[in-house]
Amino acid sequence: MGHMSADAVDRYLDELLAALDGRAADIRRVLVEVDDHLTEAVRAGVEEGLDERAAAARAIERFGPPRVVARRFARPFSPGRELATQLVLAVLLLAGVGMTTVGVSGAVAAGMGAAFGQQFVSGDHAGVTYTPARCAEYRALEPGAATCEEAATRHHFGEVVQYRAAAGVVGLAALAASALVRRRRRQAILVRLLPEGLVPAVAAALFGVAAAALALDAVTPLLAGEGGAGASLSAAIVAAVAGAIGAGTFVRTLGVRAERQPAQSSM
Amino acid sequence: MRAEQLKGHLDLLLLSVLARGPAHGYAVIAALRDGSSGAFDLPEGTVYPALHRLESEGLLASSWGDAGGRRRRVYRLTGAGAAALRARRREWETFAGSVRAVVGWAT
Repeated sequence: MGHMSADAVDRYLDELLAALDGRAADIRRVLVEVDDHLTEAVRAGVEEGLDERAAAARAIERFGPPRVVARRFARPFSPGRELATQLVLAVLLLAGVGMTTVGVSGAVAAGMGAAFGQQFVSGDHAGVTYTPARCAEYRALEPGAATCEEAATRHHFGEVVQYRAAAGVVGLAALAASALVRRRRRQAILVRLLPEGLVPAVAAALFGVAAAALALDAVTPLLAGEGGAGASLSAAIVAAVAGAIGAGTFVRTLGVRAERQPAQSSM
Repeated sequence: MRAEQLKGHLDLLLLSVLARGPAHGYAVIAALRDGSSGAFDLPEGTVYPALHRLESEGLLASSWGDAGGRRRRVYRLTGAGAAALRARRREWETFAGSVRAVVGWAT
């Protein structure tokens, strides 16, 4: 195929690529097949006596406009598959927010430890004791500690902050993945199959319950003046804030939906 | 024949062409055109989505071949495709017979 007809075919393939949607492997296959088809059609046209430009034009015209062809390759809409996809994305978003919130609570716990001492965050409740072997483990992990209890407190403080920070990193990765998938799901018409405001409503409920449970867990050591309240208190504070944000987002969604409703005329 | 009339029977036509042996998309379209003496001449871009759909339904299978250094997708009828072809042929013959009977009766 000469370069003039190859250019025309390449331009057609570029337009087709821009119009196609779906998995990369499927798109690649379509382009290879269409390229093969147009190449052979151009060759047949030349054999019939057309010049390269005319043969390419005829081949492309017979094949059909790229946008029309691309639309015919689109997978038929499946409500079940779309609902499953939207549910998975909703769970991914909730999980990402949840894990990120845990990460933030780790930062709050670190701040509490700096302000009020590590004992406040991860000190043991009254009555907790350790076996000599366990003490030896803690002393080995925290050689600077003066006592077994201090070594346990430092070790537990490290666990609270580091594990929560790791959860935060995982949460941010989940949020990034969620954002990437939503951006790549290019749809001319987005069919919302989940109720509007579902994700913020679920988030508000889950974080609200978590905040209440964690606050209750912190009350006893707080009132008793014991250590360890900070671990639950830091998580309760962040969960309460996240729940409030979820509730606010849900209420705002209801407001936006109410504005979209056509005005009802009164009789 | 108008393209709209052809669309409803495209699957039957594609399965029938491939029942004669494996072929790539261009050859299938050429067989449709030649076999019908030019009556079946729909936009060629409509055939590939139909071939892909029939493959996803298990009625066709395809694989990559080589055409003078170029990759070429070749389609063939599967066992399920042969059974589907038989069923659709029967439906078509029943339908065509009924149409012939009514049209013949009307004239």
